[in-house]
Amino acid sequence: MIMELVGEFLKLTVLAGLAIAGILVILIWKKGLATKVTYLRFVIQVVAMVAVFYLFTYPVWQLIVLIVILVIPIVLGRFFCGWLCPFGLYMDAITLIRKAVKIRYRNLPDKLNKFLHNFRYVLLLFFLIVPFILSLIEPPPSLDFATFMALLLAGPFEPLRILLGPLIPLIVPWAGPLEIGGLYFSYPYVQEVILYCNEVFSENFVTITALIFVALTVIGSFFVRRVWCRFCPTGSSIAILNRLKGFKWTPVLHLDKDEEKCTKCGICKRVCPVQVTEVYEQKGGKIMTSMCMLCFRCVEMCPYEDCLKVNLGGKTVFKSRNWLEPSEVE
Amino acid sequence: MKKQSEEKKYMPEISRREIDELRNAIKATSQKIIAENIERMKKTDINRPEAMQYFDEIANFFGTREKEIRTAKEKGKKVIGYMCLFAPTELILAADAIPVRVNSGWYDTSKLGDRVVPVEVCPMVRSTIGAKMIGLSPYLELSDALISVLTCDGMTKLGEILSDYKPIWTMALPRVKDSTQSMHLWNEEIKTAKGQIEALTGNKIKRKQLKSAIDLTQKATKAFRRLQELRKGSPVIMGRDAMLVNQTYMWDDIKRWTEKTEALCDELEKRARQKIWACPPDTPRVMVTGTPMIWPDNWKLPTLIEEANPQGVLVADELCSSERILYDPVGVDEWSMNDMLNAIGERYLMASTCPCFTSEDGNEDRINWLLNKIKEWNIQGVIYYVIRGCMLHAMEYMRVKKVLDHINIPVYYLDTEYTREDVGQMKTRVEAFLEMLTARVDL
Repeated sequence: MIMELVGEFLKLTVLAGLAIAGILVILIWKKGLATKVTYLRFVIQVVAMVAVFYLFTYPVWQLIVLIVILVIPIVLGRFFCGWLCPFGLYMDAITLIRKAVKIRYRNLPDKLNKFLHNFRYVLLLFFLIVPFILSLIEPPPSLDFATFMALLLAGPFEPLRILLGPLIPLIVPWAGPLEIGGLYFSYPYVQEVILYCNEVFSENFVTITALIFVALTVIGSFFVRRVWCRFCPTGSSIAILNRLKGFKWTPVLHLDKDEEKCTKCGICKRVCPVQVTEVYEQKGGKIMTSMCMLCFRCVEMCPYEDCLKVNLGGKTVFKSRNWLEPSEVE
Repeated sequence: MKKQSEEKKYMPEISRREIDELRNAIKATSQKIIAENIERMKKTDINRPEAMQYFDEIANFFGTREKEIRTAKEKGKKVIGYMCLFAPTELILAADAIPVRVNSGWYDTSKLGDRVVPVEVCPMVRSTIGAKMIGLSPYLELSDALISVLTCDGMTKLGEILSDYKPIWTMALPRVKDSTQSMHLWNEEIKTAKGQIEALTGNKIKRKQLKSAIDLTQKATKAFRRLQELRKGSPVIMGRDAMLVNQTYMWDDIKRWTEKTEALCDELEKRARQKIWACPPDTPRVMVTGTPMIWPDNWKLPTLIEEANPQGVLVADELCSSERILYDPVGVDEWSMNDMLNAIGERYLMASTCPCFTSEDGNEDRINWLLNKIKEWNIQGVIYYVIRGCMLHAMEYMRVKKVLDHINIPVYYLDTEYTREDVGQMKTRVEAFLEMLTARVDL
């Protein structure tokens, strides 16, 4: 009883903390200290991770987060991926470690990158179709609409929950899928990996596959920046509208490029953590690509005043500056 | 076999006496011309900034800077010359060597160059060859090695001809910028150059040194951009003065240059606040684009524009001898060796608007540069300056003209040689153009 109360209290303090952090972020932004977007993004990512961690203790919140992931992108694009996703934070943290030990990163070939980007739709489709295939093999008692919906939302494979995969916290307060020495560990997608492995492999092998998966993503993100983001199925649901020409008006948050100010120095292409080439290649105007996760690293690094702009609902919230500090004329 | 390699491949045999005579004669005229140019610059702008004094001093080829480099060399420092902007100066600085640009602007030596190459060749190339023949340019003489970037045809062969005297490091430049394979080739070239520089100087370029070298050039870029930004408003400085400041970077000590340029900018800002202008604010604002103009002799066009009647003022240019030197910074994402080298490579290859490049859309970057400058710097007329022999610039004229016609900016094609004989004729042409601009202003 007391523990529950403490738990509730903790959740409330976290929410209050979130509000304060939000105000702080707005203040930083307003004061023009947003010059280091990377740091700002890191703060927001940490806050978001903590928020997600606590919210996940409520099952109902998971549904809300799911709805948020599906609805927000219509207007904000993949802002979620760049700024809020906890798995993104883990990968950024690994990148920080790599930077600290001064090891170079590797780039994926552009073609492979584009292929992986399209592959994410196949991945998502696969997970959504699995319950139907299973229902064909093992027909459920009745084949009405409700059963199918139940299969889709909460069936043994929880297909829609795959979208929540990257939000899984590292250590869970409840019984997690991976138990090592009495501690419950968790990791994005590990639950799913274990679930699918259970069907195929024997008991002992399941933990090992889960560990192999963890090791692969950690090593992968050590050498390739944001490796998972390149084919993460969650990103597909988010970016699908950006791909369609008829929906060009939907993203309220997007990048604008001024062609004349661009000298094509290539900095935007090089600094992009997911190797988006459109910012560099496009001749100007609204930049629409479902690969971009709106981390604004390119805007931060572009050395030409006003060349790249972040547009939020018709207003410029952030733009590229002459980061060599311009002179103040009169 | 051995004898053949010792023999000069290109250069004619000239007697010691003739060389000395020629050098002394040309050096004397050159010194006179430098003094005269500076005198005329002082006369045009009565309120000439005091900070310009330093640059006047450095502008003297045979003065303090030559002595400085000589003493540094005696202490064991190496001097590495380069002929195009593409040479990675950061690497040279990181290896604790002195980078100097050795393109020559002497008119008289171009006639000497005629003995080696035909007159149709770019006069700047001929002039550089001539300068080397008689050992005129102190920086060319002092350099231990030359970086020759294979940009235009002239530069490609110039390196070959100069290899009679100096070790030449060639860097192959891809003619198409934005493809993965070009970037790959160029990055490899940068790495090779790094190895060569390390071998010559004996200093290993480590991460820390390179980082501080990049910091140095970034600071210089900052000062440089500040100066160009100041020229956006009413003219606080004559175009010639700014061009001279930009050009002294090619041989000055980078740290001191940055300091002095910042000091100049401080002074100019003060003047802008007091509304002391270098010339009347309604003077037609002119921009020059085209082939480089190298101090001291090839200074006739800016002189003509700013001393003409009606007067014009140069507020911007697109010359690889002036504004393009430092406009683009090296943007480093992560301070690892690899990324720094990639960033340096990209800065030199991708950001350049040299007409030796082409792409699907032609040399679009150059057009965009011009349009941006015209808009931001309020340019009223553009002079397209070509020295006869520069095929690349001449051939791009039509495209530039079409674009500028579209936005109703007059552009004037002015071709000339490395000679003083056509100054009178050029004056008429420039004045007619400026007259037209003033008429447009009045309208």
